[in-house]
Amino acid sequence: MKKNLQWKVVLALAVVGLAIFLAYPYDDAKVKRGLDLKGGISLVLKVITDDSINMETDQEIARLEELLKKNSITFEKVTKEGLGRIAVQGVLADQEGKTRDLFDEYTRDWDYTFTGNRANLTLKPLVAQFLRDQSVIQAKETIDNRINTYGVAEPVIQRQGTDQIVVELPGVDDPDRVKELIKVTAVLEWKLVKAGPAADEATLLQPYNGVVPDDAEVLKGDPKRGQGGFYLVDKVATVTGKDLRTIRRVTDEWNAPAVSFTLNSDGGARFEQVTGANVGKQIAIILDQKVQSAPVVEDRISRAQGGIIRGRFTPEEADDLIIVLKAGALPAGIRYLEERTIGPSLGADSVRQGFLAGLVAVVAVMAFMVFFYNLSGLNAVIALILNVVILFGALAYFKAALTLPGIAGIILAIGMAVDANVLIFERIKEELALGKGVASAITQGFSRAFTAIFDSNLTTIISAVFLFQFGTGPIRGYAVTLTISLVANLFTAVFISHLLFDLTVKKSAKKLSI
Amino acid sequence: MQLFKTPNIRFLKYKYIALTVTAVIVLAGVLNITVFKGLKLGVDFGEGTLLRVMMKAPSSEGDIRDLLQAVGLGRSQVQKTGTTNREFQIRALESAGSGGTAEEQLEAHEALADKIIAALRGDAAAAERARGLVDLNAIDEKTLTNLLETSFPGSGPEAARGILAFRNQSGIIAGFEELAGVGLKPEVLTFLKEKTYLGSLTVLSRETVGPQVGADLRRKAVQATVWSLLGMLVYIALRFKLEYGVAAIFTLAQDVLVTMSLYSFTNREINLPIIAGILTIVGFSTNDTIVIFDRVRENQKLLRGKPLEEVMNVSLNQTLSRTIITSGTVFLTVGSLFLFGGEVINDFAFLMLLGTIEGVYSTIYLSCPVVLFWQKWFKPKKAGRR
Repeated sequence: MKKNLQWKVVLALAVVGLAIFLAYPYDDAKVKRGLDLKGGISLVLKVITDDSINMETDQEIARLEELLKKNSITFEKVTKEGLGRIAVQGVLADQEGKTRDLFDEYTRDWDYTFTGNRANLTLKPLVAQFLRDQSVIQAKETIDNRINTYGVAEPVIQRQGTDQIVVELPGVDDPDRVKELIKVTAVLEWKLVKAGPAADEATLLQPYNGVVPDDAEVLKGDPKRGQGGFYLVDKVATVTGKDLRTIRRVTDEWNAPAVSFTLNSDGGARFEQVTGANVGKQIAIILDQKVQSAPVVEDRISRAQGGIIRGRFTPEEADDLIIVLKAGALPAGIRYLEERTIGPSLGADSVRQGFLAGLVAVVAVMAFMVFFYNLSGLNAVIALILNVVILFGALAYFKAALTLPGIAGIILAIGMAVDANVLIFERIKEELALGKGVASAITQGFSRAFTAIFDSNLTTIISAVFLFQFGTGPIRGYAVTLTISLVANLFTAVFISHLLFDLTVKKSAKKLSI
Repeated sequence: MQLFKTPNIRFLKYKYIALTVTAVIVLAGVLNITVFKGLKLGVDFGEGTLLRVMMKAPSSEGDIRDLLQAVGLGRSQVQKTGTTNREFQIRALESAGSGGTAEEQLEAHEALADKIIAALRGDAAAAERARGLVDLNAIDEKTLTNLLETSFPGSGPEAARGILAFRNQSGIIAGFEELAGVGLKPEVLTFLKEKTYLGSLTVLSRETVGPQVGADLRRKAVQATVWSLLGMLVYIALRFKLEYGVAAIFTLAQDVLVTMSLYSFTNREINLPIIAGILTIVGFSTNDTIVIFDRVRENQKLLRGKPLEEVMNVSLNQTLSRTIITSGTVFLTVGSLFLFGGEVINDFAFLMLLGTIEGVYSTIYLSCPVVLFWQKWFKPKKAGRR
């Protein structure tokens, strides 16, 4: 064997061996099936990034009021003018300079202008951009945490575009629960109840002459927890979800699922003090602005003791509450843009039938090649098999999922692989017809057919790269499998196939089985 | 084995006839798409809800439409899929309230889907639920496990998994006796008969796309296609000549138009996998075109002085057996997908069947003529040499 040939054999074996190593033993973990083939839930959601700007605006108003008061600047009021816009009204003319100095020093994220005795502050666009971006990143992390705590094998949670997040959960079969789990903002607060529950707001506010006191707010009871009605509660929370230390599911004395919690030392101290001072009053447990329950404080609750949240939970609801509390609150609201649930039986069906169809197709094509090209056809069949082996090795390596459009990509690539062989063989036949010897016909056939194979494969690869760059999910899956198989194609149909001829056909051969 | 000894078909003699035929098909298709039926946008690009359900008892499109009619959803499209008379695809078409934010619309679509499912389940199911029974054909694994654990501590997970594996395998549980093969203890089966009922359908899949995403997906699919076409144009123009690149793009545009036109007559929907199918057709057609162009490029050197049309005819004949063999094998592949691939892949395979035939045709009768015309118009030989 020529030295040159030896190296080619080594290279071919190395590439094929690596592919087999990567993909064997073939199972679901090696090459993942996409949701369309496996079943599961796919959600596209949008983070309401405006929420983060809103929150920043509210916090800035509170900071500004404090800042101005502390520096004894007289002003009428600080008002919210819109998203990222604040006005400080009634600033005295002779204090304008001092106010400007304060703004320069302490509110660097905001641009400001003065018109008369009014200062207009606008959140800087770059800062706003940063905040929006952060809210998407945080939302993704929170969702990630929740899904992981809920327990889904191999979830995909990805950011898409500026404010969208794609969540793919293979094998999950209860979409409503998951959707709710992802969507709840999960801000948990304990607030003292001033009045309630009452059937409507008017009754609730009767003792206050129909006006909500400055330090209080009206909240609705969560109808799901069987405690409808309206509550008047403190504006400031005693403790919040951030003060939680541990949280777990328990059964209460009536054997119903409930959630028990303990607080960290800081929160525990506040809880102890507030409960101690308000024995006999109600304290409301509020989730996302809805009162879950409002138990009466029977005794001072010591900092180590913790408490229990009750509310006619089903076991699943109690579990989900724990998940969202552990994973933390969402920084901004989210909205669903797209939801797809593919049942496992449909996915299984697609795979079974797709597999059968693929098998029939491959066997038919191979039989055809052998029938038409005899031993050379066998050579093509080997090249084709190796092509598929390399493809699956690469899919396993890149951790790409196999989807329906992905299979379309593979079909195109296999079609082009067969075509490459046909091109070469037809060319060899032409050369033989011209009276050339077998060895030279093979060499000529390969080199003449090569430009066509190279150009057509590369053109298609170029288009696949653009599809990957600009396309969405399924189209990308198509582009990935297509590109991989075409590269493999250039290797197997041209390199390995040629090598097989070199190894099996003698230089002095008079006839070629083609 | 040799397909043709020495074929000598004067393909390009018929170029005007072929161009006319192409023009007629494209025109008819474009008219059909723009003026008459329009393209049926699938839920990916449209918006709305697409449900696939499997019924416990064989039914018909008419029966299902009647059920939906009764709750005022008569406009929904119902389509039978598969061969069992039990699987149906339903696209909710009732306007889900066009006002409101994107999210409200999405929720309206979802509510519509719920309404359809409830209508198909019928009053019997509501009565069973009122008695406190749960639907074994709709329950999820965790809930079923919890239910079984209450009476059979320790064996709940295994039994639940077995039951759901069976349901996933067969699509729906038609009767409790079918569960005999799952290996449940008799007392578990008795328990199930008491505590659960078998609902009349399972939801195989359910896809809801909101208006924003629908528009987004449409825009991105077009963008991706246009860019990839441009990429090909540049490459072919560099490797061959500009007119070849232009011809290739013309061919591709024709491939897309003709397949879409033919497709528009078949009442099937356009969705993302169909776009992948169109791209695949484009891929095969480009492959064909380049193989021929490559041969023309080679023959131009060998057959100097011959007019281009003749060179092309020679090249087309030389590659004819390759063209037929390759398309034949592709046809085999796609044909088996069409016959055995199952419902999800069926539309896609159908499109590919059309496309493979069309792709060969377009290479011979569009790419080559376009190059010929280009040279005739832009490079009058005598004028150039003077």
